[in-house]
Amino acid sequence: MTEQRDSYSDVIRSLPNPGLGLGLRSKHFNYILEHNPEVDWFEVISENFMDSGGRPHHILRQLAERYPVVMHGVSLSIGSTDPLNKEYLTKLKLLAKEIKPLWISDHLCWTGVNSLNTHDLLPIVLNEESLKHICNRINRVQDFLHRPLVFENPSTYLTFKQSTINEWDFLRYMTEETGCGLLLDVNNVYVSAFNNDFDPVHYIHQLPHSRIVQMHIAGHQHCGTHIIDTHDRQVVQEVWKLFTLAWHLTGGVATLLEWDSNIPDFEVYHAELLKAKQHMSSIFDMELNPEKQEYSEEAVSNPVNFMINDIVVN
Amino acid sequence: MENSTFSLKQLQNWMQGMLVHHEPLENGNAEVPVMVEQVVNSSKRLSAVRHMDIYRYSYIARLRACMQSQFSALAYALGSELFELFADQYLDTYPSESYTLNTLGEKFPAFLEETRPDAGQEEKETWPDFMIELAGFEYALSVIFDERANENSTVTPNNTPDELLVPAPVLHLFHYQYPICDYYLEYSQGKEPELPFPEESYCAVTRHNYKLGLFTIRGAQYYFLKSMQQGNTVENAKNDLVKTFNFSRAEVDKIWPEWKKSFIEAGFFIAKNIKGP
Repeated sequence: MTEQRDSYSDVIRSLPNPGLGLGLRSKHFNYILEHNPEVDWFEVISENFMDSGGRPHHILRQLAERYPVVMHGVSLSIGSTDPLNKEYLTKLKLLAKEIKPLWISDHLCWTGVNSLNTHDLLPIVLNEESLKHICNRINRVQDFLHRPLVFENPSTYLTFKQSTINEWDFLRYMTEETGCGLLLDVNNVYVSAFNNDFDPVHYIHQLPHSRIVQMHIAGHQHCGTHIIDTHDRQVVQEVWKLFTLAWHLTGGVATLLEWDSNIPDFEVYHAELLKAKQHMSSIFDMELNPEKQEYSEEAVSNPVNFMINDIVVN
Repeated sequence: MENSTFSLKQLQNWMQGMLVHHEPLENGNAEVPVMVEQVVNSSKRLSAVRHMDIYRYSYIARLRACMQSQFSALAYALGSELFELFADQYLDTYPSESYTLNTLGEKFPAFLEETRPDAGQEEKETWPDFMIELAGFEYALSVIFDERANENSTVTPNNTPDELLVPAPVLHLFHYQYPICDYYLEYSQGKEPELPFPEESYCAVTRHNYKLGLFTIRGAQYYFLKSMQQGNTVENAKNDLVKTFNFSRAEVDKIWPEWKKSFIEAGFFIAKNIKGP
């Protein structure tokens, strides 16, 4: 087991930094294939393609021939107390065999129990029982897929009384016990920190930086008393500041902009991503001064784009 | 109940119950419902209940939006208020069991049938039949759009001999009591169709270069194509038509060149020798 964990750790350390990437969204399929935009890599939602025998799969095959691709999942449900879904894992493995992603990621969360799926990234109880449970499952999934996984810190909107471990420590222990990598979603840190009263700068400082292989940045909706991770607008300045910090601490890793609702034209989406370049070379300003934002009460968290196919009718 | 007695499983069951069933569930070991405050921390700005409400609100809002996206024509036909009512009841009755949202609405047409407002009445209203058929058609389109098939991107020549013609890999035939295909096409073209009167209709759905083609066809054409889908040759399918519709063979032979041309152009047929493995 130790040998296997060390071997996964080595793989994680050797993963490349492909640069600045974008999430593949059906709205942009035609644009990408026609214009071959200068994007370093694309992240695809695994579940959107693992059952597809139609246009989504056809597009992905072409895309994977032209760009490096990373598979990002939302239904692994690594924290669930349900048994692992073998059918899901088999399909995940098959898709990975076909498109050869740089890595496969999912979230530190659970999505349902008793065979149900809430299609939300639900928060984990952070204690020793769940750490043991999750590490055991990560080991089994990694062994099944014959590759290390990369886990993202989700946006959270509550904490449990039974939690006894800080999230940053929980993530660190996970990497130490299983050899897995981390996907640091800087926006999620900001969102969770505001919602659950912790310091996002401290959180990022405490992470095991050598285990971070990718970052996410995204926009969110401030609701006054809380923040919802909507992925529906530009990245706020405070999140860019955290990105600068994380960029320096990690030495620079693959970075991806998520945009899942009110998705703009491709050029606008790409331009927002390229702003990351100026923040890579900035000096981190420790003062986080939330800019004035428009508050809204009616926001729905949008952890991934809706996985409903846009039917194309002739 | 003391916090320390919650197992991981109990806690996840409890939280899922709060989301899916909208109310606190009884803990397996207790007679009284578990209160949110026993499980969830409050924060500087929000109470424990408000924290939980963020998940509860997002759960139903997200899935309702997915349903709206998968059944957009039905949502237009029912009106958003009534659609939401049905969608919410559906999600309550049949919460998702799949890792993909593409199958979220799989049981929705059956659910509409089970819960039709005139279920207990002797005299049935007609509009629920239309809604149920439209829901079934919309879901079928989403399945056909993404089904595995040998994609037909080759053009079949119009002069292909009859004996080489076979149904295209993606050809689905529908028979309805309402003009469902016409209604859907009008809606998808941005028009605002009125609720139609009952009128028997037939349609064919194909997929060419990963795009769907929707065609309203006649009853006889439907039966002819069905016959070919069952493995019959053009010749045998013609014989079936003669038997079923009491047509004369001469009538069928006379109309056939026109049908053949339009069927090939619509992508209903491919030639045997260019069909994939």
